[in-house]
Amino acid sequence: MTMTMKIILKEIGVRRVRRSCCEMIELGAGARARSQFVSFLRSVVAAVGLMGSIWAQIPLMTTDGFAVPQAGKIFSFPRDHGSHPEFKIEWWYVTGHVFTAGAGSRRFGFQATFFRQAAPDHTTQLQLAHMAIIDVSTGKFLHQERLNRAGWDAMAKTETLDVRQGNWSLRLSDPAAPAGAERFELQGGVQAEAALTLTLVPAKPLVVFGENGVSRKGAAPTAASHYLTFPRLRAEGRLTLGTQQLAVRGEAWMDHEISSSQLDANQVGWDWAGVQFHDGRELMLYQLRTREGGVDPASSLTWVAADGTTSQKKFTWEVLDTWKSLATGAVYPARVALATTDPMTGAAVRYTFEPLASDQELKGRLGGIAYWEGACRVRDATGRDVGSAYMEFTGYAAELKL
Amino acid sequence: MNSSVIRLLLQRFSLRHARLAPRASCLLVGILALGVAVFVAIRLANRAAVSSFTHFTDTLTGQSDLIVQAPSGTLPESVLWELRAALGARPVHIVPVIEATAARAQAPGEAAGFGRTTYTLLGVDLLALANLASQSPLPHGYFDQPQDTGGRGVRGDQAGAGDFWRAYTAGPQVWVSPAFAPTRPESLDLVIDERVRTLRIAGVIPTAKDAPRVPATLLVLDLPHLQQLTGKTGRVDRVEFLVEPGPRAPERRSELQTLLEQLGRDRWIVTTPGERRESAETMTRAFRLNLTILSLIALLVGLYLIFQALDGAVVRRRTEIAILRSLGVEARAIQLAWLAEAAVLGLCGGALGVGLGWLGAQGAVRAVGQTVNALYYATTLEAAGLAPGEFGLGLALGLGASLLAGWWPARLAARTPPAQVLPRGAPPAAGGRWQQSFALGAGAVVLGIVLAQLPPLRLGGGGRFPLAGYAAAFFWIFGGGLMCGWLLPLLAKLARALGAAWTPVRIALSHLRRPSGRHRLSVAALHCAVGMAAGMAILVASFELTVRGWIVRSLQADLYIASAGAQSASTDNFISAVAADRIAAHPAVAAAARFTAYPLSLDGIPTLFTGTDLALMHARSDLPWVTPPRDLALWDVTRNAGLALVSEAFTERFGKKRGDILRVPTPAGVQTLTIAGIFADYGNERGSIMVDRVHLRAWMGDDRVTNVSLWLKPGVDADGVRSELLGEFPGLAIFTNVKLRAEVLRIFRQTFAITYALEVIAVLVAVVGLALTLTSVLLDRREELTTLRALGFTRRELAGAAALEGGVVAAAAVAGGLVLSVALGWLLIYVINKQSFGWTLGFAVPWGQLAALAGAVVATGVVVSYFVGRWGADLPADREE
Repeated sequence: MTMTMKIILKEIGVRRVRRSCCEMIELGAGARARSQFVSFLRSVVAAVGLMGSIWAQIPLMTTDGFAVPQAGKIFSFPRDHGSHPEFKIEWWYVTGHVFTAGAGSRRFGFQATFFRQAAPDHTTQLQLAHMAIIDVSTGKFLHQERLNRAGWDAMAKTETLDVRQGNWSLRLSDPAAPAGAERFELQGGVQAEAALTLTLVPAKPLVVFGENGVSRKGAAPTAASHYLTFPRLRAEGRLTLGTQQLAVRGEAWMDHEISSSQLDANQVGWDWAGVQFHDGRELMLYQLRTREGGVDPASSLTWVAADGTTSQKKFTWEVLDTWKSLATGAVYPARVALATTDPMTGAAVRYTFEPLASDQELKGRLGGIAYWEGACRVRDATGRDVGSAYMEFTGYAAELKL
Repeated sequence: MNSSVIRLLLQRFSLRHARLAPRASCLLVGILALGVAVFVAIRLANRAAVSSFTHFTDTLTGQSDLIVQAPSGTLPESVLWELRAALGARPVHIVPVIEATAARAQAPGEAAGFGRTTYTLLGVDLLALANLASQSPLPHGYFDQPQDTGGRGVRGDQAGAGDFWRAYTAGPQVWVSPAFAPTRPESLDLVIDERVRTLRIAGVIPTAKDAPRVPATLLVLDLPHLQQLTGKTGRVDRVEFLVEPGPRAPERRSELQTLLEQLGRDRWIVTTPGERRESAETMTRAFRLNLTILSLIALLVGLYLIFQALDGAVVRRRTEIAILRSLGVEARAIQLAWLAEAAVLGLCGGALGVGLGWLGAQGAVRAVGQTVNALYYATTLEAAGLAPGEFGLGLALGLGASLLAGWWPARLAARTPPAQVLPRGAPPAAGGRWQQSFALGAGAVVLGIVLAQLPPLRLGGGGRFPLAGYAAAFFWIFGGGLMCGWLLPLLAKLARALGAAWTPVRIALSHLRRPSGRHRLSVAALHCAVGMAAGMAILVASFELTVRGWIVRSLQADLYIASAGAQSASTDNFISAVAADRIAAHPAVAAAARFTAYPLSLDGIPTLFTGTDLALMHARSDLPWVTPPRDLALWDVTRNAGLALVSEAFTERFGKKRGDILRVPTPAGVQTLTIAGIFADYGNERGSIMVDRVHLRAWMGDDRVTNVSLWLKPGVDADGVRSELLGEFPGLAIFTNVKLRAEVLRIFRQTFAITYALEVIAVLVAVVGLALTLTSVLLDRREELTTLRALGFTRRELAGAAALEGGVVAAAAVAGGLVLSVALGWLLIYVINKQSFGWTLGFAVPWGQLAALAGAVVATGVVVSYFVGRWGADLPADREE
């Protein structure tokens, strides 16, 4: 079991790495870039990359027989919200912030992740899922992992979005909903301690990252993915904590990524954050930490404008405080400062990420690999609350060797 | 009265007595101990046999909350999707289970037969198992176990991942109990259905520290593998539910139960592991109660003996007591002193008995376990341990028996008048008048006759216990014991007519013409033991006669073929339809009858649902009918869809008769069946419903068969065909007609082994009791003996007289015992056995055995008495006891 988890968790790493590459290429391919020079350079890089891939004849299959994302892929929905078992790895990843109504509103963060991985011999699929709920008022963090073979108790439909794991599920309310008319139903929980039932309605259109539907990951011709994200969804539903039933509403972020490539083993971990600003924009950043203790140049920060267009900015990432997990002994970043440029104003901005609770560590009971994935508040330089975020820190627990 | 007086009495009176007659005291303690020991041994063995019923899944998942199981056969996997959908957001783990049994493959050349190690194969989703909270403290899972060879530590993660996938996608493999073997072999050869499978041993079943011990015979497989191995792909045997612990868990559990029951209707039964365990207990309850009753016989016989030993002591020490009384000791103090003496005997006997019982249990547990295995379900035999409660029970039993037996003698002692008024030479009181009462005996016998007419006590789960029947037996033993004392004068007259010329004969007979209470008691005790033993012999003989007849009538084919994996009543190994067809197509086969049996739960009571080729059976071998069918449609497969035959045990268990309607739940819905006839079946006491196999196959959605009977073409050598088939299907057990008949009888006798052992102990106790009686009688008569010696009688003559006396007592007991045995045999066959197991037996009296028993008891009585007489001849007249 441990090994399975390690494989899949590595793919979580891949998710962030891919993001870095695809963002770069996307930018280089002519997205709104301020610096003409940088833009020019990136165009060259992208063009070379594109030609390189044509010359290298991107294979249809990996060496172990899984599909490789091909450029020009035309996505059709709802089919492509569903599973693609011809690819080795796939996941659906929902994080969000929800509140109870009225005076004395209570705040909660949640994470619901469904993974699928094919066996190397293609005979079977494994389904892994993580659930976490943070009660901000008490700091009580609940989480649970599950691992099942694909079948009656865990599955991902191919024709539409319908992924399940025991009593957890993520699916389209209307299985035949066309693109732009999606509503999602998330049913999750943590053991019998908490249950979460949410309806998710996209507030912004789907972002398909990458060049021509493919986000490239690196030099290897097979290193690519199809990467689809709803950066902001309205969430509304019911949260049950123990015997207490709460009506909640808020906002969520949903990723869906499909690939067959393996992670290069040179990173020890990554830091990732997804911010939803109150002004309707989003920001996503990641920083890859290398074995030598440095930061991989692929690290990147991307703004998503109110209309859904993306732009990349340089950033610096400074850990202000750390938190030590009593359960695993890992020391994670706690409060983090981010310095970057606002693409709307061109001004330098500085944000502080404050975890809503220190202990949002997934202890890795099933897999033996722990990571921190938690809800945060984002403040600007004046201390004003400007948005909500989810941050992810992996590779800090002693036993994680990636 | 004060306690110091009693203490003084105990020291100067009772203790001295014990010191002076140590052998008698030891014998009494020994008899008591034996009685207690037999009871304790059976109790321990019973408990071990029952407690060894394991709900195997518990060792993997922790205790399930609920279990869903088809009333018969398996459930389709589609119910899992349905169940998960129906449960919605409820946090419940759903664990589908396949449970099968398999025997170790027989070594080449090993004869077909039963009794090889049977393993329980448990198939659960080993990947999903890790999701259960109970699994969290495990050091590793199933698919990433440390290998015996290799250096995981130096390998990279990729190699580790490769190990996982290799282990996960490897073919059928088993995980074994830590107790499986000191050194695990690479693989294990198992007979599953008709095939011998070599299964790789993948590792050890990972268990948490506080989890129940994994039985050595448990093998765990990944669910899909066991489904494939047992031909149950797409089916599950049961589905277990574990409610996620947390808030409102009890309410959520009962909500789930209601939901499952509503969802299931006729398709499945919702139970709990506790109920499963309980049903295993009720299944064997009647059997265990019967054994317990039998185990009390030795104690009952012992009771007679203690009574008369104490009574004898009171009579002999009358003078002594009278002196004490005249010294002012109160009657009550004397009574208490006697009771205290009885209590000491009881405690010593009880304590010794518990120890002996524990020893005996080590042997008895095997015998009880074999029977349970043969008749009911697979047990993993555990050592019979002694609980503190059982030690207490043994002591209490010994104490109770001795106080009960000592009560009358103590009262007698207390009534002894003071020395001044004790008439010297007065005839000893010798027990009470009640025991000489012929009327009381006759009354008890009549009461027994009335009780024998009463119906059994109904236990849960279809079990029945013939309480009134046992009470009748008790009253007959008691009444018969009282009455057969009256045989003594009659026999004495008879003997006198035969050989009164010899003086010692006359001396001996003079004592028997007016038998003392002591003689009567001895007769009663021996009568009880002989009666019970002979009665049991009659039962077994009747049973054997009936079973033999049944075997001859029902086993008529030339070859019988079953999976070699089937080793006991509870195993469910099948032969695939393909193999059955290949067997039937063998050129030497004239006809092949296929038979299939499934466990069935009918109204919550376990029974069997079987199918066979009725037309073929009608043509080839008739069933042993209890109530033959009148409807000829039964034999026509196009017309017999709504008809069923049931076994006699079934009719007893469910209270049904020919013409009654049965509603039988099957995977294809509830079938309404009319009982067309009733046949005898001594193979199982759960009873069975038999329908045409064509219909059963359709209803169960399963074309496998349990066994195949072959009739060969004339002139074909059965052994030759057997070897040919075995060559093709090494996983089959093939019996020739002769061999199977012998095997059935062997198993039958094996189930009675423990009963025989109990009877032999009772007879032994009674014979020892006879010696004790004569010793006591001779002690009473020592003045007379001295006189006779003075008159010139030799020791041999006196010993001869004693031998005759003992022989007549034994003969009277045997005569009475034989009459009793016929009555008890009748009771056992027509009331107790019929009520407990639902089997009608013919009545057969094993004359040879009874004659041997009678001869042995009388001869032993004569010999023992002779030696007691020799010893008595040397008794000094004034020997103080």
